[in-house]
Amino acid sequence: MSSDINVGRVTAVFDGRKGRTIALESVDLIVKAGSFGSIIGPSGCGKSTLLRLIAGIIPPFAGSVTIGGEPPDAIRRERRLGFVFQSATLLPWRNVRQNIQFPLDIAGRGHRSQEEAFCTELIELVGLKGFENALAHELSGGMQQRAAIARALVLKPDVLMLDEPFGALDEITRQRMNIEMLRIWAESHTTALLVTHSIAEAVFMSDTVSVMSPRPGRIISTIQIDLPRPRNLEMMRGREFFNCVNQVRDALFMREMPRPDSDSQVETL
Amino acid sequence: MQLSMTFTRVWRPAAVIITVLAATEILQRTGIGPVYIPAPSSVLEKAISSRAILLENLGPTAGRAGLGFLIAAVATFTAASLAAVFRPLYGVIYNTGAALHSLPIIATAPLLALWIGTGAQLQVTLAAMACQFPILVGTIQGLGSADAQQRELLIVLSASRAQTLRHLLVPSALPYIFAGLKVAAPSAVLGTVTAEWAGSERGIGAMMLYALFAYDTATVWLSVIATCLLSAAGFGFWALVEKLTDRTIDETEIAN
Ligand SMILES: Nc1ncnc2c1ncn2[C@@H]1O[C@H](COP(=O)(O)OP(=O)(O)OP(=O)(O)O)[C@@H](O)[C@H]1O
Ligand SMILES: [Mg+2]
Repeated sequence: MSSDINVGRVTAVFDGRKGRTIALESVDLIVKAGSFGSIIGPSGCGKSTLLRLIAGIIPPFAGSVTIGGEPPDAIRRERRLGFVFQSATLLPWRNVRQNIQFPLDIAGRGHRSQEEAFCTELIELVGLKGFENALAHELSGGMQQRAAIARALVLKPDVLMLDEPFGALDEITRQRMNIEMLRIWAESHTTALLVTHSIAEAVFMSDTVSVMSPRPGRIISTIQIDLPRPRNLEMMRGREFFNCVNQVRDALFMREMPRPDSDSQVETL
Repeated sequence: MQLSMTFTRVWRPAAVIITVLAATEILQRTGIGPVYIPAPSSVLEKAISSRAILLENLGPTAGRAGLGFLIAAVATFTAASLAAVFRPLYGVIYNTGAALHSLPIIATAPLLALWIGTGAQLQVTLAAMACQFPILVGTIQGLGSADAQQRELLIVLSASRAQTLRHLLVPSALPYIFAGLKVAAPSAVLGTVTAEWAGSERGIGAMMLYALFAYDTATVWLSVIATCLLSAAGFGFWALVEKLTDRTIDETEIAN
C-alpha cells in the first residue's frame, strides 16, 4: 500500500525574538503515491520546515497537508511514516542495533523474531555489519547517518521523508546508498520525499524535482524526470540525464540574479 | 594497571593531608600550636578509645540523613516529573524548592522542634529540607535536556508521554540527576548534624555539642572528622552508583 502526499497552499511562520519569519509561503506540492520526489533549494529556504509540516511535527499556519487523504497525525499514529533527520539523532545510550530497533520498541513490536531478522538485514544493507554494538559516539558522521536511515526503514513506512540523508557521506558511499535506497523504495512501494543539495542526486533519484527559492520559501518550479527505472550509474552519462540536470540548474539559478532591493533584504535578515 | 592509575590520582592529595597532619602534630608536640587544634595523635587516640561512643552516635546520624535523603529524593523526583509533564506547575515547584532551600536550618530547627518535637522526625525533616534543592534542580534541568531533534524523533514515532519520559527524558536526565544526588548527599548529613544541635540525645551533632561544652577539643574534632567522612561516603556512594550504571549500559551493549 502506498499513499500520495498532498500539500495545498501551505504557509508556515515562526514567531521568534526578532519578530515573525515566514518560512514557507503558499507552497503546493504533490508527490504521487509510490513515486519519488525531491526538493532542492538554497540553505534556509524552508526545505526542512516543509518536511516537518508534511510529517505533522509542526502544524501549518495556513493550508493543508494530507497523506493518502488522511492528516499526518493519523499516518504517524499508524506508524506509516519514516523520517530521516538532517542530523542523525541517534540516542547516545543505545547501540547501533538498539537504535535501529527503537521504532519497533516504541510500536511495541520489538521482540518478534521476523522483525529482528529484518533489523539484521537493514544493518547489512547500510553497511554497518560488525558495528551492531557500537555506540553513536564511536561511529563516524556518515555511519551515524546510515544507522538513522536504517532506523527510518525498520517500520516499512508508506511514506518516507529524507532530509539530506546522504549529506555526510563520501561520493562512493553516497552513490551506493542512492542505489540501495532506490532498490528499497521500488520494492516497498513507498512514497519518498528527499531533500538534497545535489542536483545530480535529485535527478538520479526522482520522478519529480521541486526547486525552492528562499525568503519566503516557495516552490518555483517542478521538473519531471522521465528517465527509465531502475536507474543505474550508466544513465548519468546520458544526454537525457544531462538535460534534466540543466533544467534543474536553470530553475535554481533563475532567482539568483542580483536585484538591489532583494539584496538589501538579505542583509537585514 | 588499575592500581597504578588509582595511585597516580591519589598520591598528591594524600601527600598534602599527611604533610598538614605531620605539621600539626609537630607544632602541638613543641607546644606552639593553639589549644583549639589538638594533635592529630590525640584525636586518633580518642577515636580508638571512644570508638563505641563514636559508632553509637554515627549510626543515628547516618540513618537520619539517609532517610531524609530518601524522602527528599522521592519527593523531588515526583515534583520534577510533574513540572516536566505539566508546565504550569514548573514555577510553583521550582520556587517552593528554592524557598525551602534558602531557609537557614540553624534558625528553623528550634522553631520546627517546638512544632514536631526534637525526636528523629526533626532531624529527618531537616535533612530532607537541606538536600532537596540540588536533586530538584538536577532532575528538572535533566528532564529538559533532550535536544529538539530527539524530541521530534519521538513525535514522529508517535510515542506516548510515558514512553517519551522512559525512553528519552529520563536517560538524558541521568547525568544531571547524579550530579544533583552527589551534591545533595553531604547536605543531608550537614542538615542532620545541625538539626541534632537543636536537641537530640544521640548523633554526631549531639556528641559535638556535648564535647564543646566540656572543652573536649579532641572529641569535637573527632565529630567534625566523622561528619566529613559521612558526607564523603554519601558523595562516594552516588559516584559509585553512577559509575556502575554506566558500566551496566556498556555490559548490555556487549551482551547484545
Ligand atoms: N524553530 C524555528 N524557529 C524559528 N525559525 C525557524 C525555526 N526553524 C526554522 N526556522 C527558519 O525558517 C527558515 C527555513 O528553515 P529550514 O530549516 O526549513 O531551512 P532549510 O531549507 O532546511 O535549510 P538547510 O538547507 O540549511 O537545512 C529559516 O529562515 C530559519 O531561520
Ligand atoms: Mg534543512
